[in-house]
Amino acid sequence: MNTQLKNIKFICNDSDVEINIHPGTTVLDFIRNTLRLTGTKEGCREGDCGACTILIGELINNRLIYSSANSCLLPMGHMNGKHLVTIEGLNLKKTLNPVQQAFVDEGGTQCGFCTPGFIISLTGYLLNANNYILSDAVNSLDGNICRCTGHIGIKRAVEKILQNFQYANNNETEKILLLIENNFLPEYFKNILNRLKEISLSLKEEFKATEKSKYIVSGGTDLFVQKWDDIINSDIVLINKSKEKLITEVDGKFFIMGEATVSDLINSEIIKSIFPDIKNYFNLFGSLPIRNRATVAGNIVNASPIGDITCFLLALNATVHLSNESLKRTVPLKDFFKGYKSLDKAPDELIESVSFEITSEKFLFNFEKVSRRTYLDIASVNSSVYLEILNGEIKEIHLSAGGVAPIPLYLKKTRNFLLNKKPEVDIIIDGAAILNEEISPISDARGSAEYKRLLLRQLFYAHFLKLFPEIINAEELL
Amino acid sequence: MAVKIIKSKNFVETDFVESLAEVPVEEYKPWPENDKLKIVGKPVSRIDAYEKVSGTASYTTDKFLPNMVYGKILRSPHPNAILKNLNTEKAEKLEGVLKILSFKNCPEISWYYDTSLLFDKNLRYQGDEVACVAAISERIALEALKLIEVEYETLPFVTTASEAMMSESPKVHGWGNILDGKPDTYVRGDVEKGFNEADQIIEEEFNTQVVVHNPTEVHCSLANWDDDKLTIWDSTQAIFSVRDTVAASLKIPSSKVRVIKKFMGGGFGSKLEAGKHTIMAALISRDIGKPVFISVDRKEMNLAVGNRPDSNQKLKIGVKKDGTITALSHISYGSVGAYPDSAGCSWPLKTIYLCPNVKTEEYSVLTNSGRSRAMRAPGHVQGTFALEAIIDDAAEKIGMDPLEFRLKNYAETDQVFNVPYTSKKLKDAYLKGAEIIRWKRRNKTPGSQNSEVKNGIGMATQIWWGGGGPPAYAALKLNRDSSINVFAGSQDLGTGTYTFIAQVAAEVLEIPVEKIKVDIGDTDFPYCPLSGGSMTAPSVAPAIRDAAEQMKGKLISAAAAILNLPEEELMYSQGLVSSIKEKDKKISITEIVSKTRNRELITNGAREKNPDGYATNSFGVQFADVSVDTLTGKVKVNKIAAAYDIGRTLNPKTLYNQIHGGIIQGLGYALFEERLLDRKTGKVLTTNLHSYKIPTIKDAPEIEIAIVSQFDPLNSSIGVKGVGEPAIIPTAAAIGNAVYNAIGKRIRSLPITPDKIIKALYS
Ligand SMILES: Cc1cc2nc3c(=O)[nH]c(=O)nc-3n(C[C@H](O)[C@H](O)[C@H](O)COP(=O)(O)OP(=O)(O)OC[C@H]3O[C@@H](n4cnc5c(N)ncnc54)[C@H](O)[C@@H]3O)c2cc1C
Ligand code: FES
Ligand code: FES
Repeated sequence: MNTQLKNIKFICNDSDVEINIHPGTTVLDFIRNTLRLTGTKEGCREGDCGACTILIGELINNRLIYSSANSCLLPMGHMNGKHLVTIEGLNLKKTLNPVQQAFVDEGGTQCGFCTPGFIISLTGYLLNANNYILSDAVNSLDGNICRCTGHIGIKRAVEKILQNFQYANNNETEKILLLIENNFLPEYFKNILNRLKEISLSLKEEFKATEKSKYIVSGGTDLFVQKWDDIINSDIVLINKSKEKLITEVDGKFFIMGEATVSDLINSEIIKSIFPDIKNYFNLFGSLPIRNRATVAGNIVNASPIGDITCFLLALNATVHLSNESLKRTVPLKDFFKGYKSLDKAPDELIESVSFEITSEKFLFNFEKVSRRTYLDIASVNSSVYLEILNGEIKEIHLSAGGVAPIPLYLKKTRNFLLNKKPEVDIIIDGAAILNEEISPISDARGSAEYKRLLLRQLFYAHFLKLFPEIINAEELL
Repeated sequence: MAVKIIKSKNFVETDFVESLAEVPVEEYKPWPENDKLKIVGKPVSRIDAYEKVSGTASYTTDKFLPNMVYGKILRSPHPNAILKNLNTEKAEKLEGVLKILSFKNCPEISWYYDTSLLFDKNLRYQGDEVACVAAISERIALEALKLIEVEYETLPFVTTASEAMMSESPKVHGWGNILDGKPDTYVRGDVEKGFNEADQIIEEEFNTQVVVHNPTEVHCSLANWDDDKLTIWDSTQAIFSVRDTVAASLKIPSSKVRVIKKFMGGGFGSKLEAGKHTIMAALISRDIGKPVFISVDRKEMNLAVGNRPDSNQKLKIGVKKDGTITALSHISYGSVGAYPDSAGCSWPLKTIYLCPNVKTEEYSVLTNSGRSRAMRAPGHVQGTFALEAIIDDAAEKIGMDPLEFRLKNYAETDQVFNVPYTSKKLKDAYLKGAEIIRWKRRNKTPGSQNSEVKNGIGMATQIWWGGGGPPAYAALKLNRDSSINVFAGSQDLGTGTYTFIAQVAAEVLEIPVEKIKVDIGDTDFPYCPLSGGSMTAPSVAPAIRDAAEQMKGKLISAAAAILNLPEEELMYSQGLVSSIKEKDKKISITEIVSKTRNRELITNGAREKNPDGYATNSFGVQFADVSVDTLTGKVKVNKIAAAYDIGRTLNPKTLYNQIHGGIIQGLGYALFEERLLDRKTGKVLTTNLHSYKIPTIKDAPEIEIAIVSQFDPLNSSIGVKGVGEPAIIPTAAAIGNAVYNAIGKRIRSLPITPDKIIKALYS
């Protein structure tokens, strides 16, 4: 059955592993079935419970960076040259580590099935953050579901850990040493950087696409949910992160590489400087381990009508840069979607990058998303807006909405209506009427068509209420 | 110790169960308040926490035996169908496939109270079992499922109780769709008369959704035979019930079956029954001579292993101007799915409030969907949501504060059985909870705040059983190193059973908790009840105390023999037996065991009987503080204040865990969780955690807990009442009332999603 075996070398906890394996085998299956490390649990196989969370340590520009991921959606091929950490790899020889001890002391564990996942996620946070902030630490657990404790004991455990251990420094090597010194990590973490450097010298070539390739896997957070059983029987190509310059700016023109993840966007200094609220927008995207893996290109190509990154980029009127062996071309994102899950893209074309231009210094931007459960949920409806105001009038506007049509929508008619008008209550109410004509939602598990219409109107209002609080008040609008 | 056998009647989840029980003749004096105790009542950390935080705890899913093979189940994709033909030839040829079990080669094993078979040709819901493949790997078993050719004759189906009640609707079984052909009814007094006496009559209709347990560990079993002895590792809340069902299904003596469960990833009621997969694993394992592991996946979890039934409830309440309730009536319809179960939800209405005239009718209705099972406080959760909403509405109608209205109608005795309670401190709980949430700041006029985001406060009361009772047994063994082993056939679902057992034994023997090793979750140990109905602690703790008290007696007896003193002259304290008369005549446990050597001391304890002529219930109240974003319809629960009378607190740490967990499940029930079923296709739309939404850490509100009880003086010598289920009961009702208080619109159906709020506000 395994059509395509690859040689993969990595470090699992303290051990070197070299194995010939189908690169699409999930890391979860490998660690549980082959290595019999059963501390990592399977709860859903779809990235929704976090019981399978592990840490990946990788060399990025010669620095050792750790991030959490759902091992149920993680292809073995992506472990090449990495450090894989499971709960077993955090155990000290004699005592519990302070994270584990805090979970014991504060009632952070009940049936215990979710517990290794939580401990891994929190350790990932300690490894990652440059200074420790309670709300961020709690956010880092947003992909771990506990059905027993109500998460209250877990929150208390986090509080206690941060009370007893504070740190501010952005040097990874020093941080790792300090974490070892304070018993958060076992000794062997000291040598991982050098061991990975050594492994990287002997790594085999990266996987390349062939005519036989059936799947192009980037973060895998869509593909492994839908096709994991077929992936493992097929020839696949894994997109690897280019290590440098995922996000760049030249004269107001911004480029985002296709393989940039949601976390890369949130953490990018360039993005933060133009969208100070980026974290608030995208903390509504999946969970931390999903954000660490989900890519921009994957979100666009998945073509879900409610993709959040797509919604965001549509309002920036972004351009998609495609390439295959012979050709490079660009397509405006708003023209990229041809129909439900149908794209202006040949099967062998890859999204190399996405670009957008910001022409005005004083542009306004807002992103809204409503779902049944506020966090770790797909939107019922989402919407983004980009605005430039000149002399009190709307000089430029791009508006997008998801969940209200078979494709992510760029709201052209509403835009044209609003252009060169003042952002005032009457105009906005008229705009909402046009908006209502431009959409064609259907009833599904995320809500009835009627509700989605109503909700998009509310989000449309929310944009203006947030961006023009002095001019527009809710009473008048509603 | 003298014992006798009695008939014991206890409430288990949805009904009274009668059984013979051995109970001690003499009973111990209840312990004093917790501050006079040394170990019980203290925040002892879970004794099994090390394994859990280090990942070494081995759950059933983690078990591995040499040569073990894997089973996967093929399920009907149709809501109603007849299995016409099954061709397994291609699947059997797949390399690695070892056995395919189906109606063709499986003995007829009765299931669902004789309404169906293990493999039935009538497939009555999407998820009904068609065949089971065992193969050398899970992947091959899954591949093989795809190769099985099945011919179905699809039949018309019904998905909702209201549809199923119509005479022309398809019948799920040959007989009618209403279970027992009629509702469960209850009448007290004369409701007609009661409504005539009322100044105000309020009638309302409520709907609650189907929700699914979704514990983090899926249902799974590993079966292995040695000769004619069968061992089953099972993720279960009821080892003895699994043992008995397996033995009966396989027609073998139950002494040949041993069921083991050390760690499990939650159950919440879904794991109280033996699963079909367990029987299949045992059958296939016997046939192929290898250990067989069968687990269901998350999709099957959402289709086929139980749920909380939905409800449509019509309530009517009559009140006088002064706040007296004169009559209450309740009609409920709930769909139990394709096989018999109970969907009744009237109990809270019958008992919480003082009311002479009550009438209830509970319809349990069959539909073509997954069967319901007990889920954390079955019935009470649904019933309380509706009752506590109409209570608030009645209070508003007569212009009375909802808390005052509840106090006005406070019931001092159990109105159904007309007996006193062994203890009831609900009044204290009301006052304490109100103080914590600062009740006075609630909106006097609901919805009156002038902002986009509106805040509201609401409350709800709960009643539950939770007295437990016999039979429950435990054995204690004093080891040569002076440590103690406790053996009891109970199970820890994550609730803290391991820990309270160690605490109770340590309390009696006045030795450190670390000296006690607890062995539970094995049918080779003395019988204990299933872990459900919030009755584990109230049933098991007294049996532990009995066994430990007897051990104290034996130590005194052994000391008397060694020291050549009469037993009466000796006393036991903190691991030492000493003479009352001569202080220097003493002997420690360590010295005693060094003399008894390998002749270990063993005792057997039993739960005493419950007092006659009393009802034991847990009581509590929750207050919710919420914010509602009127623009987007998002509801945020800011705080829950929970005040409870649960008798004695055995361990505040594990107790708070239980209450927190119940509240968050209640929050999920109130706001997100919902099994959606497409009425046109009869198929479930929410078959994974992507679509079935469980609360995350970001949804967890602040929770403040107050326990207003010291101990129940009459129920048992320990005086603990159950809390696992009480914790979830009032949450959705309190949140519902708080949302009303915030926006002034009542959402009468659960879950309270943004769409319902937006629609209530704008269309
Ligand atoms: C638990 C969970 C929560 C989620 N929450 C959200 C959410 O809140 N909002 C949201 O929008 N999405 C969400 N998603 C969906 C998913 O994470 C995103 O769509 C993500 O951006 C996909 O990226 P990926 O790299 O993981 O895609 P992959 O699974 O690797 O690929 C998806 C598709 O894109 C193709 N592809 C990938 N890279 C390229 C490329 N460079 N060129 C051409 N084709 C390519 C693949 O072949 C495949 O067809 C969630 C998913 C999960 C499992
Ligand atoms: S198993 Fe649930 S997230 Fe991976
Ligand atoms: S402790 Fe049971 S799921 Fe978290």
